[in-house]
Amino acid sequence: MDSEHGGRYGGEYGAYGGGVRSVADRLRAAVRAFVYAVVGGVALIAIATVASVLGPTLALDLYTPAVAAWWTVFTAVVVQGVPFLLLGTVVSAAIGAFVPEKVFTRLLPRSQALAVPIAGAAGVVLPGCECASVPVAGSLMRRGVAPAAALAFLLSAPAINPVVLVATSIAFPGQPNMVLGRLMASLATAVVMGWLWARFGREEWLRKPTSANGPSSSSASGWRGFLAGLQHDFLHAGGFLVLGAGAAATFNIVVPRSVLDVFTGSAWLSVLLLAVLAVVLCVCSEADAFVAASLSGFSPTARLAFMVVGPMVDLKLIALQAGTFGRSFAVRFSSVTWVVAVTSSVAVGWWLL
Amino acid sequence: MRRGRYGPAVLLLLTGGAVLRIALFSELYLRYVQVGLRPYLVVSGVVLVLLGVVAAVARRGEDDPDDHGNAPGESHGYDHGDRHGHGHGPRVAWLLTLPALALLLFPPPALGSYSADREAAQRAAQGVGTFRALPAGNPLELTVGEFSSRAVFDSGRSLKGRTVRLTGFVTHGDDGAWYVTRLLVSCCAADASTSKVEIRDADAPVTDTWVTVTGTWVPKGKPGSDAAWPPVLDAGSVRKIAEPSNPYEKR
Repeated sequence: MDSEHGGRYGGEYGAYGGGVRSVADRLRAAVRAFVYAVVGGVALIAIATVASVLGPTLALDLYTPAVAAWWTVFTAVVVQGVPFLLLGTVVSAAIGAFVPEKVFTRLLPRSQALAVPIAGAAGVVLPGCECASVPVAGSLMRRGVAPAAALAFLLSAPAINPVVLVATSIAFPGQPNMVLGRLMASLATAVVMGWLWARFGREEWLRKPTSANGPSSSSASGWRGFLAGLQHDFLHAGGFLVLGAGAAATFNIVVPRSVLDVFTGSAWLSVLLLAVLAVVLCVCSEADAFVAASLSGFSPTARLAFMVVGPMVDLKLIALQAGTFGRSFAVRFSSVTWVVAVTSSVAVGWWLL
Repeated sequence: MRRGRYGPAVLLLLTGGAVLRIALFSELYLRYVQVGLRPYLVVSGVVLVLLGVVAAVARRGEDDPDDHGNAPGESHGYDHGDRHGHGHGPRVAWLLTLPALALLLFPPPALGSYSADREAAQRAAQGVGTFRALPAGNPLELTVGEFSSRAVFDSGRSLKGRTVRLTGFVTHGDDGAWYVTRLLVSCCAADASTSKVEIRDADAPVTDTWVTVTGTWVPKGKPGSDAAWPPVLDAGSVRKIAEPSNPYEKR
């Protein structure tokens, strides 16, 4: 119907005043294009001149050692994250494109209370750091996994996979309890967070990555869908990785680590301090054990908290989660996860270490 | 809408190109991450470049009306299902151009004295004890980290009487003392920590100069005590060198 109307109107206009109108239109368009070109061109030339004159001197003035260090740390976090992010998006795109929708719902028990710990323990299979787990958790949700279970997986995968546990045992030679403590505290946090989400979580907080994440959610499957999904997911998550890297570099440069020595005295303060440091430093989960080992002034429990919080809550992870699941989710989820992670590391540390 | 058409392809090619430039065509990646990451970086770079080429080809294909007819639902869902504006690829992805262009055009320098000065030298994690015997060699090449932990924590005093050679950059203390300093990195430059050795009996080069210092250890303080810190090397010779390809030591 509509198209018929449109066609008739068009025809009528064409019949009545087509010639005059189109000449006037064309003239107007030409004038507009000319004005745009002149204004834009002049502006562009002005900007280019100013930039080429002032640029080098300004750049040299601004390129202080602090700025240089910021750029180095910034690019380092990005370079370090790219392979793991790519691994995560390859896995998530493959899940989106090749795994039939029903597989996960059939594999996981229907009861969320049971599905959460199983999904948490399944985190063992994804070797990588936290950059990889966000896209994978997103694609699990798209494939019909209950959000609570997918979130438990999101939290546990970067903390309890074999690569990370081996790195931890190398960083703490002769202290198998540290590895065990990390495994238990991380798994406990992931499961508790899954249960909390199942009980108190609200759908509207979570922007399900169905519509937002584009092609991999659409019906496209097979290689075409895989490539489209991979390309989109990597670019999307990569942008947020850059955002997080910028935040991490800024904190790294603004807050000197020697400030921390002030707090080593009190056991409670030191736990909280290292838990905050884990958020700010954004050390990847495969390396944080070495950093924790080097923080020798702190109690074992505080160092455990550093290793439990780090893979679950940090600036680049918050940025990645905000990009995938929405900002209102990332803020709520990260802050509660932080509290639960600190509590469980204190409990496990008090019991084991 | 045409403007954004090749956006994803350009971004993927830029990112992949930047990764390959630092990991495959040079050793610049060592300024940012550890040796072990190289194969993964190379693979990622190749995959990203291939993805970019595929994306560009797919976009070209969309011009073709025949191709459009083949998969109408898909390309449309792609354009309109995406809420990130511009229709082609998420807008936040453009942030990737920052690190990519930086790496391609002006690779940021390795961290140096600025970062070292901001942190108190790292007191190594271990407690006092005896260390494994040092290998033969005269002078013996040691990392700054290894030298400091042996100097401070070795109750067996394995460094005694040995001539050692350390490599690092120069930093200056408040009281005219100068140090051979090296940053220790376990994963990427974001987790760098400092270890340094005070050099005596040699003129101080300019800050951030890379040097190798050959000399002997000067014992001081009880092992593990504050007085043993920082370790001291009595320099026989100081030689200026170019910055090594790996500016950090592995922790």
